[in-house]
Amino acid sequence: MGSRRHFLQAFGSAGVLAGLVGSGLLRPGQALAVDFNRAAFDARSAADALRLIGATGAETSADILLKAPEIAENGAAVPIEVISNIPGTTRLSVLVDKNPFPLALQFNFAPPAVARFQAKLKMGESSRLRIVASAGGRHYTVFREVKVTAGGCG
Amino acid sequence: MSDPIKIRATVRGSDGEVRVLLPHPMESGQRRDAGGQAVPAHFITSLTLSINGRPVIEGGLGTAVSANPLFGFQFAGVKAGDKVAVAWLDNKGQRGSAEAVFAAG
Repeated sequence: MGSRRHFLQAFGSAGVLAGLVGSGLLRPGQALAVDFNRAAFDARSAADALRLIGATGAETSADILLKAPEIAENGAAVPIEVISNIPGTTRLSVLVDKNPFPLALQFNFAPPAVARFQAKLKMGESSRLRIVASAGGRHYTVFREVKVTAGGCG
Repeated sequence: MSDPIKIRATVRGSDGEVRVLLPHPMESGQRRDAGGQAVPAHFITSLTLSINGRPVIEGGLGTAVSANPLFGFQFAGVKAGDKVAVAWLDNKGQRGSAEAVFAAG
């Protein structure tokens, strides 16, 4: 935990960001308006993670499609696909409620990227899988229970 | 870790798809090795995709992303020849990057 915390401090430092800018991969004024809240990735409960990403009280929406297996045979690589049909979606967040650190992933999107992605997740045990879509300062959510037959939090 | 990033960027009409494979152990910090020692966390924390030099997807990753992360992304309004660049940074300060060009698929 100690080294992780040390890293979190380092990530916020100007030196690291300057390195990214210097690489030409992030250019001043062109980056998306993001600064991921690393504390949310350190949260140990879904409720805390949701609070830290500002999505407490997100309303359920049928306009977010979450494709995930009902039963995952391999918890080390659970394939998911998320599609937000909510206009103006700029961020999608993925939480696995029962993982040691529930917040798994966040993506910010700007045109021409569309608010949709495929990824593979580790799930330590059967859990609720929760998606939060952020659009215009509001948050929407959808969730699904995924049963894991062999955990993958290794 | 020394394996190169794999990018497949295809375009059909004006719709593009990018699939990215990032070779990385994505150690969660939860695992113990054969000797019972905790394996320290080592995982990608941020990911950026740029189209023609402009960042259009930025990701924050936690330890629950699978080893050797494979992502798929979609784009509306790209054309063959457009450049896609991928860059990642991990919790040890290591980084990787690669570029590809959209090809008609």
